[in-house]
Amino acid sequence: MSFMLTLVTQERELISEEVDFVKANGVDGEFGVLTGHSPFISLLDPGELVVRKGDALYSYYVSGGVAEVLPKSVIILANTVERADEIDEQMAKRARHNAEEALKQPISEIERRTYLLELKRESVRLSIVARRRSTRHPGQISEE
Amino acid sequence: MPSLRSIRGRIKSVKNTRQITKAMEMVASAKMRKAQMRVRDTRPYAEKILELMVRLSAIESHRPNIFFKARPVTTVGIILVSTDRGLCGPINANVFRQVNKFMADRPGVRFEFVVIGKKGQDFVRRSGLKAVGSISGVKDRGKIEEILPATQVAIEEFQEGRWDEVWVFFTEFVSTLSQKPRMEKLLPIGPDVVEGGGKGASPFLGEYLYEPDTTEILDVLIPRYFESIVFQRVMENFASEYSARMMAMRNATSNAKEVIYQMTLIYNKLRQAAITREISEIASGADAVQQG
Repeated sequence: MSFMLTLVTQERELISEEVDFVKANGVDGEFGVLTGHSPFISLLDPGELVVRKGDALYSYYVSGGVAEVLPKSVIILANTVERADEIDEQMAKRARHNAEEALKQPISEIERRTYLLELKRESVRLSIVARRRSTRHPGQISEE
Repeated sequence: MPSLRSIRGRIKSVKNTRQITKAMEMVASAKMRKAQMRVRDTRPYAEKILELMVRLSAIESHRPNIFFKARPVTTVGIILVSTDRGLCGPINANVFRQVNKFMADRPGVRFEFVVIGKKGQDFVRRSGLKAVGSISGVKDRGKIEEILPATQVAIEEFQEGRWDEVWVFFTEFVSTLSQKPRMEKLLPIGPDVVEGGGKGASPFLGEYLYEPDTTEILDVLIPRYFESIVFQRVMENFASEYSARMMAMRNATSNAKEVIYQMTLIYNKLRQAAITREISEIASGADAVQQG
């Protein structure tokens, strides 16, 4: 049983097709959606979006946004999205390192929070990259 | 009869003009292609968030949220999207005409503007209307940050009750040959928002579960909705601007060609006439010498 998934940002449309399963990172924790889910709307935290279509898994980095879940469709209005293969591993590593270094310094609470957020973002990015390398993620739905 | 020299001068100047319009046509057509792609890329998000907001407004209308509640209209806020430059056919004039008609249809209502684009600023100043904010020099690269100052002003005016409705006026990109002036009501959000806006939306009228809760979600969604729609409309306007400019310049180029053709004809005739006259003068001179 499949349902319609739409993944869009203000600047482009990434997915608009039938899929079997979606897992996203809501502000109150991860949630998975299969067809026939009861309607809900959730804000998204930075995290991985996993899509299963048939046997293939696809993964995306979503920086936040809103997901609307209806029984036969899921619409994700994301702030920014990176496909797993678009993530720049070197850059993410460097950014994470910088954030870690910065956190060791004595800094203000506000700065600390920004760096913690940064750290979290980059960790998510890197874990997506790592997973993509290790398992059966074939990459990208409907390569355009 | 104009002199040969002056015609030669005019042909040259028209040729220069033709070169300029030709270059502008090619620049516009290159930009147009990109802008059209951007229109295509930005439409889905705008459509989806609009559908979602229309659904939410139907569910949430009983709650006291000022963004969903229609109120008596004394002041209308208008976001006027125009171009920075001219030479793009009638698209700005068409939008301004629609604004004027819109205002004429609503006597007794005050109008205030947030303007995007230099041409719109000129229009507002010329007509003695009130602009509470304006931006120009927006780039066509498809970055939403550039229009945020405009949307923030507008949403603030509405939130603080100074505006009772917010509309956006822009030129919709239909195709390279056709651009339509359009107006849409953006706030308050209701089923009447944007003609045909709910099309294709599943008419879901049950309750949603909210995570974390309604207020927080709406606090995020409403500004997003507003920004993305305005942003998308600006992108439409860019595509329209470049398409209209390309067509205008193409017409100008072919006009110039026609003018050059006509003037070359006159020039050649004049030159022929001058040569004939000279020959007959020489011939009659020679005759006179022989006879004498």
